[in-house]
Amino acid sequence: MKLLQKPKLLLAIIVFGALFVIGLAGGALGDAFGLGFLGAPIAALQLPAEPISSEPNIGGFHITNTMITTWASIVILMVLGFVATRKIKEVPTGFQNVFEVIIEYFQKLGEGISGKRSTQYIPLVMTIFLFILVANWIGVLPGFGTIGWIETPEDLIHHAEEQHKDLSQVKLNVFNGSGDVGILGFGSVSDTVTAEEWEHDHNIIEDGKQAGILIPFLRSANTDINTTLAIALVAMFFVHFWALRTLGFRSHAKKYINFKQGPIWFAVGILELISEVGRVISFTFRLFGNIFAGEVLLVAMAFLIPIIGIMPFIGLELFVGLIQAYVFSMLTLVFASVAGAAHDDH
Amino acid sequence: MDALGINLPGLITQLVSFAILFAALWMVLYKPIAKAMGDRAKKIQDSLESADKAREEADSSREAMEKQISDARAEGQKMIAGAKDIADRFKEEELAKAKEEIKAEKQRAEADIQRERDAAIDGLRREFASIVVDAAEKIVEKSVDQSKHKDLIDKVMKESSALGKDK
Repeated sequence: MKLLQKPKLLLAIIVFGALFVIGLAGGALGDAFGLGFLGAPIAALQLPAEPISSEPNIGGFHITNTMITTWASIVILMVLGFVATRKIKEVPTGFQNVFEVIIEYFQKLGEGISGKRSTQYIPLVMTIFLFILVANWIGVLPGFGTIGWIETPEDLIHHAEEQHKDLSQVKLNVFNGSGDVGILGFGSVSDTVTAEEWEHDHNIIEDGKQAGILIPFLRSANTDINTTLAIALVAMFFVHFWALRTLGFRSHAKKYINFKQGPIWFAVGILELISEVGRVISFTFRLFGNIFAGEVLLVAMAFLIPIIGIMPFIGLELFVGLIQAYVFSMLTLVFASVAGAAHDDH
Repeated sequence: MDALGINLPGLITQLVSFAILFAALWMVLYKPIAKAMGDRAKKIQDSLESADKAREEADSSREAMEKQISDARAEGQKMIAGAKDIADRFKEEELAKAKEEIKAEKQRAEADIQRERDAAIDGLRREFASIVVDAAEKIVEKSVDQSKHKDLIDKVMKESSALGKDK
């Protein structure tokens, strides 16, 4: 047996296998068979980004957890950028090399599509790629979605009534221990009650426990439509800005409003106009959908097979994060190249 | 919109944040790195060009050197050929001069021999004439006058000279 000759590999396989079996038995899957001793909690996911505190932060303005991640990504990128360019070397090493590879890749790609004109697109394309990549990758770090403040049942019921939700559908986690800040760890949640039950009888919560929902302080930036929509709007704004600068106003506007070449070309112009809106929407929801789905997948897997069952899915999410960053930046480059091309030749 | 979580404050915050990141990365990251890349590309281009130029220069100087060497060789050969030519000519001239001298010497010698022979014959003839005159005087003594004497002598002289000539 070859395996026996490599004790380290054998040990690693045994440890991982044991952790997997423990996770499988102790997680939500094992719970169905009377095991579930780890008491893995499931995070409450919702589409809108959540505020990081119950009260507005500055002048009635709620800072959300996705904003925190956005700013963290920005700080990380600025620091990396500063480190990479603090001492520019003729023979690049370290971060300078990484950024040069990224910039050169997009430069080559752009030159292939639209020649020298593409040089002006590169700073934005590079920024989109780096921001989405960093935001996606730090979004899978431990602590994202699991550390937060606990929203009280009163606030939850208030919000649910505002949105005309059925209180029996609003689920509350019962947390062991009290305090504003909670961590979704093993055994941190002992039970689940609905808001209707809680309103009917506050005393279903035992002493030393509290009901509510954990609102994480950190949440992957691109699971918020505001973030993806903002990037899409900036991208399309610059696509048209560059097209205007390259073609001039008349030539660019003729693509959308065209009376001179008959009704068919007028209709084509209208379709072009609609497709521009479609591009913003597809940009927004492609990135949001992929990253939000990844978040849901990670939460579900952490719930079903805790400890190490999540590992392959973290790898998958890192890959998805890279692909989405690449797709968004490459499409921006392609749209800019196409929009800047002269349309007289067809 | 609300269910999706799209709201104006959130959107504006993200827009402003992204715009700030864009501007910052452009200034801090893109510009210095693009400049470094451009400088490097230019430097490589320059050094390639200068290497090409140096190679061309080396080629042309080698060609010039080869041409010089072949020129020098041709010149040397020409000089050797010239020297040989001169030597040949000198030899021939010397040979011709020697031949000439020998010929002249021979001629002179022949002339000397001829002259001496002529002189000898002349002397002999004179001797003979005087002997003849002596003999005739003794024979005819007073029977011959002066004029007839003279004519006789001349006749004998002529005959003797003709005698000397036709041998």
